Amino acid sequence: MKLHPILAALRKHKAGTVLIALQIALTLAIVCNAIFIIGQRIQRVNRATGLDESNLFFVSQQWVGAPSADTPDGVEKLDAMQREDLAALRNLPGVASVAPINSLPLLNSSWTGSVSLKSGAEIGDKTGTRTAYYFTDEQVFPTLGLKLVAGRAFNAGDVQHQGFRENRDRPVAIITRALADKLYPKGGAVGKVMYSDGSSAPTTIVGVVTRMQIPSSGSFGSDFAWNSTLIPTRLDANFARYAVRTRPGQLDAVMHAVTPLLYKVNPLRVLDDDSVRPFSDIRARAYRADVGMAVLMGVICLILIAVTAAGIVGLTSFWVGQRHRQIGVRRALGARKIDILHYFQIENGLIAGVGAVIGVILALGLNAWLMTHYEMTRMPVLYVLVGVIAVLVLGQAAVFVPARRASNVSPVSATRAA
Amino acid sequence: MLKMTHLSKVYRTEVVETYALRDFNIDVKEGEFVAVTGPSGSGKTTFLTIAGLLETFSGGEYHLDGIEVSNLNDNARSKIRNEKIGFIFQAFNLIPDLSVFDNIEVPLRYRGMKSAERKQRIMDSLERVGLASRAKHYPAELSGGQQQRVAIARALAGSPRLLLADEPTGNLDTQMARGVMELLEEIHRDGATIVMVTHDPELAARAQRNVHIIDGQVVDLAEEPRFHTHAGAGASQGQL
Repeated sequence: MKLHPILAALRKHKAGTVLIALQIALTLAIVCNAIFIIGQRIQRVNRATGLDESNLFFVSQQWVGAPSADTPDGVEKLDAMQREDLAALRNLPGVASVAPINSLPLLNSSWTGSVSLKSGAEIGDKTGTRTAYYFTDEQVFPTLGLKLVAGRAFNAGDVQHQGFRENRDRPVAIITRALADKLYPKGGAVGKVMYSDGSSAPTTIVGVVTRMQIPSSGSFGSDFAWNSTLIPTRLDANFARYAVRTRPGQLDAVMHAVTPLLYKVNPLRVLDDDSVRPFSDIRARAYRADVGMAVLMGVICLILIAVTAAGIVGLTSFWVGQRHRQIGVRRALGARKIDILHYFQIENGLIAGVGAVIGVILALGLNAWLMTHYEMTRMPVLYVLVGVIAVLVLGQAAVFVPARRASNVSPVSATRAA
Repeated sequence: MLKMTHLSKVYRTEVVETYALRDFNIDVKEGEFVAVTGPSGSGKTTFLTIAGLLETFSGGEYHLDGIEVSNLNDNARSKIRNEKIGFIFQAFNLIPDLSVFDNIEVPLRYRGMKSAERKQRIMDSLERVGLASRAKHYPAELSGGQQQRVAIARALAGSPRLLLADEPTGNLDTQMARGVMELLEEIHRDGATIVMVTHDPELAARAQRNVHIIDGQVVDLAEEPRFHTHAGAGASQGQL
């Protein structure tokens, strides 16, 4: 079957042909970009925090009638209460380790600041490299499962405590490799100093961890998502937060036991349903919008594909009905069933091909527009190529049933009245 | 050329079987011009569709150009239709989306003929029907008589062994009908075998031989009136 007669016939059915070609083009443009965005979201959702996320949960609780964290006496009392909790939790059966910590990756509750190689006096109004601080103790490594790549972990002697609003020197810190690479691009950050939040007191970098995401999972912090700084300090405030690692398989049992245990240690606190959360829940909540967006875009893609397929089926079915006698004439003149099937397949291939060409231009144009107006990266051409193949396959799949129906038109219909 | 022996065609439903053709016998020799006549519902068109391999038959034998066709599959039947038979339909059956040239080209394309040969044959057949100047026209731009001439050109282009014409002048006025009939006679004089179904006694009289069908059977015209005037004689039916 050659193209010329098919093209001649299509010229006589311009409206339907153009509409379907445009529908295919729009579907290709939207679906390519949507799948690219979905892919990016999935990649974002699945990126590793740097923590060993299994068997890990988080406790966040509020003291009731607690002493003020603004007075030295209050701070000492709050710290004693916190240490009581830590001791109780560490002795709980099934617990592997516990660390006090102000936040966790993806918790979206962060303490951010900046670090610099210059002291506050030298840097003036300029800001350094942005970072998120994790205030914790020497148990943070086994508790979060962080991996040290250089230097050492904290020891008990490093750990101090301070009131929540207190501004203290930070003699030592451990930073992530991403932050270390920014501060010391040539390497060798361990043993060197940095200055945090415009302080003139140096902080010695005692260790570097491979990776630890900052608490923020949204657009805020996206430019310093891996710049974390660990400070060996317990924060004393009217709240306390603990990260708890359980032994394998003990997560549910330990989580269940934590609330009554803490109330037993000190009943003057509030622990609600949200106070004890597995890390899997923190991750799920942090990326709920991304997952929702990916699902929504996926559904829109499916609807678009279904509508396009239905359009092809509908138009081809209409044409088959309209050309029933003509098909019978072709059969009478010697067309085999396969010739009729091929006729409609080639016809669809031509329409889908034109639609795909327009769709490629629209897809790249839409991507360029999204890059200009939103935080979107350039879509790899592979997406468009796969999209083109997909719409061509979709077209062939959609046209198959009506085309086969056409191929089954009996040649005798050529002799019957129209 | 065309020989049917004890051929039958039965249409079956759950409760009734209808014989469109019953013990049907006909033998058309090469180069003959046979007119098949009969009242409405007598089985003329059924005969033509079976003769043209447009549908199958229920029993008996049918030899076309020496080939027993009863056991041929769909592809083989398509090939024979394409190579050995030329159809001329009452409603012309030109494809409205295609030009005159493209319409005539349709069966030649299905034969896999090369472009140059196709073009030569198309122009030759258009010359023969006097429409060479209309090759680029579309069917809607032609009169009924011209459309039927294009249909004849399409049938001739493939050099078929047998021309089957189903009421070829049925949709034409007298003058156009005369022109088409003269063309068929000319084609016959050139050696073509033609079987023409018609209910027009005047046209039938111009054929070399008349075959009359009543109730799905060929009847001897010596025993029957030459042409039945009663309509809807109907095919025979039997209860299952």
